[in-house]
Amino acid sequence: MASKRFILKRLLLLVPVLFGVATFVFVILHLASGDPARVILGQRAPQSQVVQLRQELGLNDPLYVQYGRFLVDAVQFDFGQSYQIAQGDTVRSVLADKIPVTLELALYGQVIGILLGIPLGVISAVKQDTLTDHVGRVGALSGISIPIYWSGPMLILLFSTTLSIFPASGRLGSTIFLDNSWQLFGMQLPLTGMVTIDTLLLGQFDAWVSAVTHLFLPAVTIGIYSMALISRMMRSSMLEVVRQDYMRTARAKGQGSKITVMKHGFRNALIPVITVIGIQFGGLLGGAVLTETVFGIGGIGTMLVSAINANDYPLVQGTVLTFALLFTLVNLVVDITYSYLDPRIQQ
Amino acid sequence: MSRDTVDRRTFLKSAGAATVVATSLAGCSSGDGDSGEDTTEASGDGGDGTETDETTEQDDDGNDLSGTLVYSRGDHPTNYDPQQTTSGEVAKVTNQVFDTLIDFVPGSGGQLTDGLATEWTLEETTATVTLKEGITFHNGEEVTGEDVRATVRRFIDEDYEYFLGNENRSGYSSVTFGDWVESIDVLSEYEVQFNLSQQYAPFVRNLAMFAAAVMSKAQIESVGATPDDQATIGTEPQGTGPFTFEELDNSNERILLSGYSDFWGEGPNVAQVIFKTIGANQTRAQDLINGDTHITDNLDAQSIQQVDGSGSASVVQKNGINVGYMAFNHARMEEFRDPRVKRAITMAVNRSAIVDDIYQGFATEADQPLPPDVLGHNDDLEPYPHDPDQAQSLLEEAGASDLSFELATFSNPRGYNPSPLQTANQIKSDLESIGVSVEINQFSTFSSYIDYTYGGRHDACLLGWYTDNADPDNFLYVLLHPGVDASELSADQQHIAWEDKGNASNVAAWVNKDYVELVDDGQTTYDEGSRRDIYLEASQIAHDDAPWMFIDYAELIRGIHQSVNADTYTVSSVGGPYLELVELN
Amino acid sequence: MSTDTATDATSLEDRTALDRLRSSQFLSDLLSNRLALIGLTIIVGMILIAIYARLAYDLGALRSSQLGTVADRLPPGWTGAGAVDQHIFGTDASGRDIYKRTLYGAWIAMKYGTVTVAASTFIGVALGIIAAYYSDLTDNVIMRTMDVLLSFPSLLLALALVAIFGSGLWKVVIALTLVYTPRFARVVRGAALKVLEDEYIEATEALGANDLRVLAKHVFPNTLAPVTVQSTLNYGLAIIDFAALSFLGFGAGPGMPSWGLMLDNGVSNGLLTGKWWMSVFPGLFLAILVLGFNLLGDGMRDALDPRMRETVD
Repeated sequence: MASKRFILKRLLLLVPVLFGVATFVFVILHLASGDPARVILGQRAPQSQVVQLRQELGLNDPLYVQYGRFLVDAVQFDFGQSYQIAQGDTVRSVLADKIPVTLELALYGQVIGILLGIPLGVISAVKQDTLTDHVGRVGALSGISIPIYWSGPMLILLFSTTLSIFPASGRLGSTIFLDNSWQLFGMQLPLTGMVTIDTLLLGQFDAWVSAVTHLFLPAVTIGIYSMALISRMMRSSMLEVVRQDYMRTARAKGQGSKITVMKHGFRNALIPVITVIGIQFGGLLGGAVLTETVFGIGGIGTMLVSAINANDYPLVQGTVLTFALLFTLVNLVVDITYSYLDPRIQQ
Repeated sequence: MSRDTVDRRTFLKSAGAATVVATSLAGCSSGDGDSGEDTTEASGDGGDGTETDETTEQDDDGNDLSGTLVYSRGDHPTNYDPQQTTSGEVAKVTNQVFDTLIDFVPGSGGQLTDGLATEWTLEETTATVTLKEGITFHNGEEVTGEDVRATVRRFIDEDYEYFLGNENRSGYSSVTFGDWVESIDVLSEYEVQFNLSQQYAPFVRNLAMFAAAVMSKAQIESVGATPDDQATIGTEPQGTGPFTFEELDNSNERILLSGYSDFWGEGPNVAQVIFKTIGANQTRAQDLINGDTHITDNLDAQSIQQVDGSGSASVVQKNGINVGYMAFNHARMEEFRDPRVKRAITMAVNRSAIVDDIYQGFATEADQPLPPDVLGHNDDLEPYPHDPDQAQSLLEEAGASDLSFELATFSNPRGYNPSPLQTANQIKSDLESIGVSVEINQFSTFSSYIDYTYGGRHDACLLGWYTDNADPDNFLYVLLHPGVDASELSADQQHIAWEDKGNASNVAAWVNKDYVELVDDGQTTYDEGSRRDIYLEASQIAHDDAPWMFIDYAELIRGIHQSVNADTYTVSSVGGPYLELVELN
Repeated sequence: MSTDTATDATSLEDRTALDRLRSSQFLSDLLSNRLALIGLTIIVGMILIAIYARLAYDLGALRSSQLGTVADRLPPGWTGAGAVDQHIFGTDASGRDIYKRTLYGAWIAMKYGTVTVAASTFIGVALGIIAAYYSDLTDNVIMRTMDVLLSFPSLLLALALVAIFGSGLWKVVIALTLVYTPRFARVVRGAALKVLEDEYIEATEALGANDLRVLAKHVFPNTLAPVTVQSTLNYGLAIIDFAALSFLGFGAGPGMPSWGLMLDNGVSNGLLTGKWWMSVFPGLFLAILVLGFNLLGDGMRDALDPRMRETVD
């Protein structure tokens, strides 16, 4: 089928791109100045130990050897050990710890974005050029224009400092500790690392409430941006679809009422919105970095900032590479889904 | 794998349920609350009465173990192996879980006392340590000389089957043991003998460093023989200390410690300790004020004011054992080899203004490399006066009136320098008023800064040093000794070429033959009286030659909440925090 | 809907640029869009504020701490209760007047934003036109490189570049330029390809015009519209990203009255103690300016030839 060739082509194109991404990330480590051995050992180690470590880490090898080693490792997701931030831990384990934290945030933001953005966009389209529409459009534009590092603090000011409804930082009440695994039919299963889910799996509802109240404001902060983008896309997509010839034809054929047109249009209008989800996923990841900083949540975002400040290159490399991969894959999935759904492309 | 560790709740709850710990925070009836959250709100989290799990136990000494102590800090390391890091942030926790052979007296400014050892002697190149009997690790096994031997071998001995590995062992490996210990003999069950490569006076104090914590041979051997296996101890450390390491929660950046009822020493007086992480200083201070944190550290000037002004928490401080300075690079700048130039520059800068205004009084003005609490600190010395006129004439005399140099500095606050950029700017403007031009070279990360300064590329740089063991050698050798034999130096030599310098942490490349001989002497002299005299003289030379512009000795500041019994907590400038002594009201 | 004026190949060369502009459908559509005009007004207003601040205030004075002479964290002058009249936006944690710093922040935002957008536009346009016009291989090499850069979420790419280059306002300019260039390259390439599809180009070439002439006279002017739209939209993004990096500590050095840094200070120094003015005002100005760019950019995109519209991000 044509689609299969399309998918294959896209997958093949992925290879040189990923290769380029990996090379770019390798360059990060080597362009940046600084002696990694000194970074690892710190200020207090004598030079002799530093020299010895450089040798052990293979940092004296020629660049192409190091590059080759890096590629081989990268393919296996082995980014080595953190230099400083998580000394002694592999980058992979640090990422495994932190990714669920950020993912949880991004997911809720995305959900809010979709659940609120789509209806808002539809309403705006249906009531085109009325006051509702204008308010909606300016509102959505504001949502894009207001940066997270302002909306977050504003929400904190209002709901936390002044009204004391929600906590200002963190993910979970400070003295609540969760178990490492949960029981299902007598089996010990691993937890997800996402507090709102884990607390449910463990049956601790008080803890769940704590998790939800902690994540509410951050999720809303990220969600606003996502909602704005999606509602805009939904609106313009619906208007576009309604304008299309084949919609006019449908109407001419007597399926008449505006509601039917809208219903039919909605399904088709949904398709381009899917592409937006792919695009704004990147923005969501960037937004997670900022939200985590504002709300004091220790996810990948805050870790990346710390890693940069500590010259912890393996961690920076691993994080950036993982994000790029994630982003690329999401976009690939979106592209493929879009190609399946869009009747025009399938020809 | 990675996410969490072995769960070794030996005292608390049954399997499967989460632990919700009731905290006895003053004025807080419905559980722990959170920063900014009103505790009377129903939306509070656990501990609203239904799931309290208050443990009231008694330990060996009959101490009442109740309550949870919460310590907030700004960073969350993920590895708690005392041999894998030089970070004080890790030490805070490992000092609760482990013990050293020799310890510091809490709040004493570096005075030594028993740790696991009951007796120790240092004779020529032999250090003999006798352990107390009946001390157990958290796994119940008794501490013997074999544990000490295994611990040290793991740290420094490449031939040891369970060697930690060059990539994992910290920068303290050589400094604490590696450079000095040639072999270790276990003389009897409780007696250990270290055979040193030379007479080394600071060795006893090295045994008190957090990196010298005694680990369990049984645990070392149980995890496996590769460096990667050994590295895993960092997530489940087991020692003899007053608290056991219960849980490492990396995704929420917290640590749970549990009181060890069979602890050999005084305390613990609380059932649990939680270390939690709040990155932003103000947020952390607010958390303290709200009563959700009992003790916190690393507050900046504004948060200190915040805490001070609140009714519910207070600030405690102690002079620290550290020094902040601006080093002159004698290797790069010829002008800096003339003491008149260095004294002139020092006198031109208003250091007391820096200490009073920029450091807002949380430091005292420095006049020599050794801080006041350390043996050999020369009380007769005074800071150079602030005298721009004399500075100018000194410069003219030395023929360096049109001097200009680069001043390298880091950007982010460090204990001995809370405002590096402001300090650098102050120095620059003070020097400009006597005609010396200064170009500030700012580094955004500390690692790149260390790279630059340790590579000797600076003309002058701001730096500082926290003590490891409160020994004078830890300052006078580490920071100002060229790392070469005194016999290779000539009597009038003022500097050493960077390539010839054998001591990385000396960023001044200054040389004074008398000084070098004195410090070498002090390192190998065991008699404390003689050592003191040696170091008094060395300090005088360092003051007179002025290889640094001495800036400050910083105070250590902590915030404590009123629910902590203030008499039971002291700020310690080295070792500690001694949380086993802390009692909650 | 409406098409652009360049329908007749011969008449295109006869009319002057100004004529073309005046009778441009694009412009008339744009100017009739009320929201776009509001956006334009906002932008012009901010420019005036920026220029005023730059001329009226001394940066050194705005940067230095006023502790000792002025009380810190004073609420805005009009709220009464301990406020000081002359500080209408209050003071920050170092006693500095927030009103003046906020106004100066407009200058900083627009100065660095302009450089960033100009640079990325220039480089992106060049790359895009080259990719569109020249051989398949050139096209592929350029566009794959752009793809690599685009596979990173933009803030993360900027952070990674900051990790290499270091912090500082100009280093952020370089990082963000690298982040934005691929978008321009893509837009321009798309637009240029569409222009090149038109038969009259082939006709012109058949008549003997050389490459550069074709590019300059025909391809380039017709990519102008989408490029302008992309620039405008990107401007808002540049201001947000710039402030984001300063907020995280990688852009403006301490003391600089950059909106992002002011927000960072406001959050760490006043948020939990209810000192709202330290965060509200810089953020408000930033949001309004970005909104202005988005309104204008949106209007421009709506006024675009539908063919071109699809190419704009």
